[in-house]
Amino acid sequence: MVEALSVKNITKTFPGVVANDNVSLSIEKGTIRAIVGENGAGKTTLMNIIYGLYHPDSGQIFIDRQEVTFLSPRDAIAKGIGMVHQHFKLVPSYTLAQNIALGVEPRKGILINETALNNNVQEIAQKYGFNINEKEVTANVSVGEQQRAEILKALYRGVEILVLDEPTAVLTDIETKELFVMLRNLVKQGITILFISHKLREVVEISDDISVMRAGKLVGTVKRSATNERQLAEMMVGRETIGGRIRKQSQKGQLVMDIKDLSVCDNRDLKAVNNVSLDLYCGEIVGGAGVDGNGQEEFVEALLGLRDISTGKIRIDGQEVQDLSTRKIRESGVAYIPSDRYRSGVAIDASIWENMVPGEYYVKPYSNGLSLVMPEIIQMSDNLIKKFNVSTPGIEIKTGNLSGGNIQRVIAARELGLEKAKVVIASQPTRGIDIAGTEAIRQMLVDYANRGAAVLVISADLDEILALSDRIVVFYEGLVIDAGYYDKDIRQRVGWLMTSGKDHGVEEGTHEQKAK
Amino acid sequence: MVLKKELMNKKQNNHAWREKLTNILAQFANYLLILIIALVIGALVMYLSGRDPISAYGALWEGAFGNGYRFADTLDRSTIMILAGIAGSIAFRTNIINLGLEGQLYIGAFTAAWVGFTFTNLPSIVHIPLCIIAGILGGALWTLPVLYLKLRWKIPELVPTLMLNYIAIRLTDYLIAFPFRDPTAPMAGSPLVAASARLPKLIKGSTINIGFIIAIVLIFISYWFIFKTKVGYEMRMVGLNQDFAAAAGLPVKKSIILAMLMSGGIIGLGGALMILGFFGRFLGGFSSGYGWDGFMIAIVAQNHPFAVFPAALFFGALANGALTMQSVTGVPQAVVAMVKGTLVLFVTVKIFLENIRKGLKKWVM
Repeated sequence: MVEALSVKNITKTFPGVVANDNVSLSIEKGTIRAIVGENGAGKTTLMNIIYGLYHPDSGQIFIDRQEVTFLSPRDAIAKGIGMVHQHFKLVPSYTLAQNIALGVEPRKGILINETALNNNVQEIAQKYGFNINEKEVTANVSVGEQQRAEILKALYRGVEILVLDEPTAVLTDIETKELFVMLRNLVKQGITILFISHKLREVVEISDDISVMRAGKLVGTVKRSATNERQLAEMMVGRETIGGRIRKQSQKGQLVMDIKDLSVCDNRDLKAVNNVSLDLYCGEIVGGAGVDGNGQEEFVEALLGLRDISTGKIRIDGQEVQDLSTRKIRESGVAYIPSDRYRSGVAIDASIWENMVPGEYYVKPYSNGLSLVMPEIIQMSDNLIKKFNVSTPGIEIKTGNLSGGNIQRVIAARELGLEKAKVVIASQPTRGIDIAGTEAIRQMLVDYANRGAAVLVISADLDEILALSDRIVVFYEGLVIDAGYYDKDIRQRVGWLMTSGKDHGVEEGTHEQKAK
Repeated sequence: MVLKKELMNKKQNNHAWREKLTNILAQFANYLLILIIALVIGALVMYLSGRDPISAYGALWEGAFGNGYRFADTLDRSTIMILAGIAGSIAFRTNIINLGLEGQLYIGAFTAAWVGFTFTNLPSIVHIPLCIIAGILGGALWTLPVLYLKLRWKIPELVPTLMLNYIAIRLTDYLIAFPFRDPTAPMAGSPLVAASARLPKLIKGSTINIGFIIAIVLIFISYWFIFKTKVGYEMRMVGLNQDFAAAAGLPVKKSIILAMLMSGGIIGLGGALMILGFFGRFLGGFSSGYGWDGFMIAIVAQNHPFAVFPAALFFGALANGALTMQSVTGVPQAVVAMVKGTLVLFVTVKIFLENIRKGLKKWVM
């Protein structure tokens, strides 16, 4: 085996998180290596270290068995490592050739030699078997062709190791197939490819070896021929007995919120939520698992009246609410803990009391019709921050001065404290907050469900979903797939649905036939 | 037990109160320093160009505060500055960058003048309020195209408000050049408003009139409105974080519409007061950039109505004193613009530095 690249004992920490924990990898020249793992498993961090975007806290990188140190991607490219990011970095008004050679154009005096440029690009495209129209303006070509340009951009700079960050996320099925043919061609010519993905079907189809990461650690590396999707899914989500489950027993009551055939578009007007139906019952916690970006945000925003829906109905206690304003929807009993607390959970430059009252300031006794009744507001806010253990010197303090965990307590206090809500929609309720805060917030949600509310927890953190939920659904490419009630096999079922959208029983073993 | 709790509460309140006070003092010291820096830079430029800064500033002071009448005139000049500053503050509080104060001022001034010279047989008690209402409506309604573009097509208000300034100025130029031209006016202007529409003067020998009282009252009303009312709360929350306001169910659109209309209405009121109190008729190009002064005053006051008053007084004093300074010492008025500009620059830098410090703190945490 000829080693192209290896990393030894790479550790990288960010404030509060160990993104890479003592990771070691060795990659053979002329092979395709897939790195798989859930969101936050540390794949992208590792790739960014290899590409020189991050500097590891400790550990070494070797190229052709020579140790290297990268201060920036420039160094990495000089050593033959190129990266294609998930979001392309191309100038839309340039031709593909101009983008490919950007910064290293052939020159004629002080001018760019356009003829030589086009010829060079065409030559390199032919060498690697890429079908590309180099004179076309970038904005006019398909996403697949833009991606080819991105790959060629790296190859043009003489790169021999290519890192692809979720290359298929933006492609159609046909484009994906074309990409795989091209990748095979590259490998034949001695290029080494690192391929990050969480789509197991594709990983099994294209890779030679597969490395699995979980929670910053490398779980293991397996040969494609010696594994299958099911085994990979188990490696990804872990098999440990589920600790920390705090949901004991549910008392499922009557139907509160029912969502029928809901379709919602994202900001680019593409369908993000596709014909989804979901029922929420009193006293039941429903967990919405799934990798980020599978329609969760759009779904939640539609429920809150923050985003227009294309089709479908949303009912609360039998009353249709899909056309009502956010305020009316909230008044009909919906509490909301948004995924990005700084963006839409609080106004950080406002005081704590100002962040406490947006649901009450306009009704008696907090308002007399025209002005705010401050003594009432202060008393309510004071009571709530005590009840929810927000640690702050007072309610006049700017909310942005609190820690993330305390800000989340402020939000929970506001949304749950007055016990008006019948439905709680909590999106990533504990993302980025410390352990004590996480436990407290989870306990609040459980307590609230025990008092008879319907709770929907949406989280990319599977452990969180498993700790809380009575029933689990999985967001996958705009669909919401039922994974059933909590039982001992649910982790694998959910993990499988998250990565392929299919139940494992159907899919198992079929990739062998596909490969042929 | 109860006693202990009460004691703790008292302690906490005491603490909060003391913190507030030190905050205000620190702010005050900060502003004093910035003011001194701005004046020193102005002095430096004068010195370098061979003028005597001390006598220039002396003349400036003399012109602005030299005697009771001059002081009264300075207060009169700050009337429009106060209204412009509040108009700017209300828009900025809602995170609306209303660059159209100048145009809204012209329209408000003209509509007030029109009511003033068109109706001639009304008693003052009716005529003055009518003119004022016309001015408010003129300024407010002039923002409607901007609101439509912003809410219907999501076009940011920045450019439309700015462009409407030119349209407003040219439109009023046209109106006084043709349909409402008064050939007897010394400059291009409308007919004089009826005597019944003129604002009563406060002191003989000065231009100061009840407009100043109206401006002072408005400072208190706008403070109460911004910080103590339901609608003010909505507008502030929309301004601080629109996504938060929307998610919490606050009426975002209503707040934006109201803030824009109020901003235009208040500067329109300022226009009305200038016409009825000072000029007596609409004059082409009557504003020497009061809308822009309002913009700067709002920035310097950080959108707080109480801070608008000293800032407006300072701007008013500079405007009045500059005339004396130029005629007595020959130092051009432009020096004053430089001092104003430096002041705004340093205040913005101060805010900018505070934000950076905050950002860093969060990043480190």
